[in-house]
Amino acid sequence: MADLVTFTIDGRQVQAAPRTLLITAAKQAGIEIPAFCYYDGFSLQAACRMCLVEIEKTPKLQVACTTPVTEGMVVRTDSPQVAAARKGMLELLLTNHPLDCPVCDKGGECELQDMVFRYGAGESRFVETKQHVDERQWSPVVFYDKPRCILCYRCVRVCDEGLGVGALGVGDRGSASEIIPNRGDHLECDECGACIDICPVGALTSGTYRYQTRPWEMDHVGTICTFCSNGCKTTLGVRNGEITRANNRDKSGVNGEFLCVKGRYGFDFNHHPERLTAPLVRVNGKLAPASWAQALATVGKKFAEVKQRGGKFGVIGSNHTTNEENYYLQNFARQALGTSNIDHRRTGDVATLIDALHGHAGALATTADLYTTPAALIIGSDLSQQHPFLAWQLRANFRHHQAKVFAITSGPIREDRYAAKTMRAAEGEELTAVESFREHLAQQKSLVILFGDSIKGDAVRKLVAFGDSLGIPVSYVPLVDYSNSRGASDMGVLPDLLPGYHGVREAGLEPGLAYDAILSATDLDALYVVQENPFAKTPLASTGAFVVVQDLFLTETAERADVVLPAASAYEKAGTVTNVCGEVQKLKAGAKTMGAKTDLEIMGLISKEMGVSIGIWKHDTVFAEVRKSVPGYNVALPVVETGGAAPTFPVNGRVPLEDRPDLISSDRNTLFLSGTLGRYSKMLTSVLEYPGKLYGQPVETELEMKEAQNT
Amino acid sequence: MPPARSHGRFPGFVTLLRYTGRMAKLGEVLDSAVAIARGMTVTFKEMLNPPITEEYPDAPPIFEERFRGAHVLERDENGLEKCVACFLCAAACPVQCIYIEAAENTDQVRISGGERYAQVYNIDYNRCIFCGYCVEACPTDAITHGHGFELASADTSALVMRKEDMLRPLGAA
Repeated sequence: MADLVTFTIDGRQVQAAPRTLLITAAKQAGIEIPAFCYYDGFSLQAACRMCLVEIEKTPKLQVACTTPVTEGMVVRTDSPQVAAARKGMLELLLTNHPLDCPVCDKGGECELQDMVFRYGAGESRFVETKQHVDERQWSPVVFYDKPRCILCYRCVRVCDEGLGVGALGVGDRGSASEIIPNRGDHLECDECGACIDICPVGALTSGTYRYQTRPWEMDHVGTICTFCSNGCKTTLGVRNGEITRANNRDKSGVNGEFLCVKGRYGFDFNHHPERLTAPLVRVNGKLAPASWAQALATVGKKFAEVKQRGGKFGVIGSNHTTNEENYYLQNFARQALGTSNIDHRRTGDVATLIDALHGHAGALATTADLYTTPAALIIGSDLSQQHPFLAWQLRANFRHHQAKVFAITSGPIREDRYAAKTMRAAEGEELTAVESFREHLAQQKSLVILFGDSIKGDAVRKLVAFGDSLGIPVSYVPLVDYSNSRGASDMGVLPDLLPGYHGVREAGLEPGLAYDAILSATDLDALYVVQENPFAKTPLASTGAFVVVQDLFLTETAERADVVLPAASAYEKAGTVTNVCGEVQKLKAGAKTMGAKTDLEIMGLISKEMGVSIGIWKHDTVFAEVRKSVPGYNVALPVVETGGAAPTFPVNGRVPLEDRPDLISSDRNTLFLSGTLGRYSKMLTSVLEYPGKLYGQPVETELEMKEAQNT
Repeated sequence: MPPARSHGRFPGFVTLLRYTGRMAKLGEVLDSAVAIARGMTVTFKEMLNPPITEEYPDAPPIFEERFRGAHVLERDENGLEKCVACFLCAAACPVQCIYIEAAENTDQVRISGGERYAQVYNIDYNRCIFCGYCVEACPTDAITHGHGFELASADTSALVMRKEDMLRPLGAA
């Protein structure tokens, strides 16, 4: 970095790196220069002219958002001339902006409203009638109100540069100019809603939050999205115990600006009318509502009886529950039930990677690494669809640091557009294809490899060997599917591994049955399923088994159960989850559903009914235990408690695992799918099922056209 | 007057005295009657005039125009509700007695003039201090202070007024 530049702003001498934009340098010095079009991280627009400042020896006012600081520059941001100019700009912006703040959804958190309030430009000298254009719905989630639009181009840039979708543009000229969607009258896009959040005014508004409440009426609860494994922070707007919206208004999570359609709009499963609110117990072949006391007594009695006669238990854990619950569940299975038949749906081969990485320090990439590492290799995943935040990080890395992105996938992916080199390879043949990348990869300073579920078992070891042979620092991201898939694995919800990838034999136990074996065992006496839906794909072979299911809804699995216990969702409880990159983040309870209990509490109460003590069922007590007993999870508590992301590296020597790569299969959830949970989100399903108008007509995407040309 | 007693030698004098006494008494009675009549002149005169005090509860009370009584939710000239559920009254309320749930107008069901209307609008008169901030905050002049004041109730739950209780009846401008 060259020497710092010294300049004067509002009579203060400050320093900044050369080529820093004046608006950024001023912010660093603690001076705010208002702007609508300027947005950190995206290309410059200089459209709104709100950031006008006075620069000595320059006759006219200059825009701070495109002017770099220079040595000896003397800037005034608070002179009467600047204030008058800004007031004038606001008056012009308001020529056609309807002052319908009382009904506008942005009212109360509108940047234009704030500015007009600050510069007192509410009165206008214009007497002409304001143009009115009716509001238009572009998709189930996006509404556009043209008169409110101030043409700052933020939405256009976030969609194009941030998401790589480019669904928005500006059409027409002069006072008729407006934002237009990619399909003329509707949008065909990721439906992520980034344009809505980034809009400084109420021109783009959200279909779910629309006219429901106002920003100051809600409690804002920052928690972690419960859908995919990327671990984005989403801030829930909660009113009367009900979630009315989700966005990333404080931008404090690993995801910063980013949220996809699931994080912003998928929360509505929480208030789905089919949510279970009372336990169900099978009486005379039918599930009937019962009290918690009855249901817990039934489960406790039956479990104790099966345990006493040495019966066979099966336990299936979840990819959505917290680390504490997973840890407690494996304790419950191994200690209270005395069984090793515990497993979860494995969606990525984390255990083998941890084993293959023994002796490598810091070889697991964090989400922040994806933004800083100069090169990345994607293997076998449509990253933008399945791991949208990781794709966002790579795109930002490319945009800001010219990162080299390589991809080996079976079909076209969005990353093809900017990738340094891409290749198509059938599933399972990626490792042969990767050899042709060797030359390119070895030239990089360091590399992150993101691999999907097709790389499992031996292939993981081969991939790590390939990484080692490159001679550059290589870190890895095993792409798992759900919000706490990684945590379920780390917490030992596995038949052969204890928390922290210790072998069960170390504790004097025998490995138990794996996922498929539990379902296909004909002599199973009792099955305990926590927030998982295994029977959707495979029916239970043991017809006589006593099945206890904890879930939010009456899923296929719950319908077969003998006792169904209503569980709280991730938005209703505290605890920690581990994302795809191994970062531990804290959940905060926002909403509340009457009648439901957290899985942790249910497990504790069942163990109490059974007369077995497996410890206090409080999330912080369990987390303290996790920090002690799981290597790598001894994370800095202040970081986690204050809503930060603490990276974990649970690598501790060899993992004595029984390789079962056949059990690993990703659900390949795209942006609008998320297993069983996604089915209960009205907004996600409406985006999917909006027939004809949005997704019905096949539209040739740029990529498909490019693909067609290549073949 | 003590009972007259005979003194033997002057019976006529005593009797005379007695008579004179009686005469004096009559005079007193007359004097009193005159005094009362004089004293009651104003009363008797006013008995015939109409009353100048308020006849509440026999007749409705009269209010100053700016009296802050129970709220009234106004309608516009088309009979639509003026309230667009902007929540500003609830935000301005120092005792948080206003509860609103908003909903969107559709072409089929149009309740207010704006895009949004108040589906639920409750004021808790247990808490309301009639400060008038809500009226001041209202951007559409939808909420006003009416002159309703008979709000006492033995049942606190009856003091939570709903929108229907406060809305100006259709046709009554």
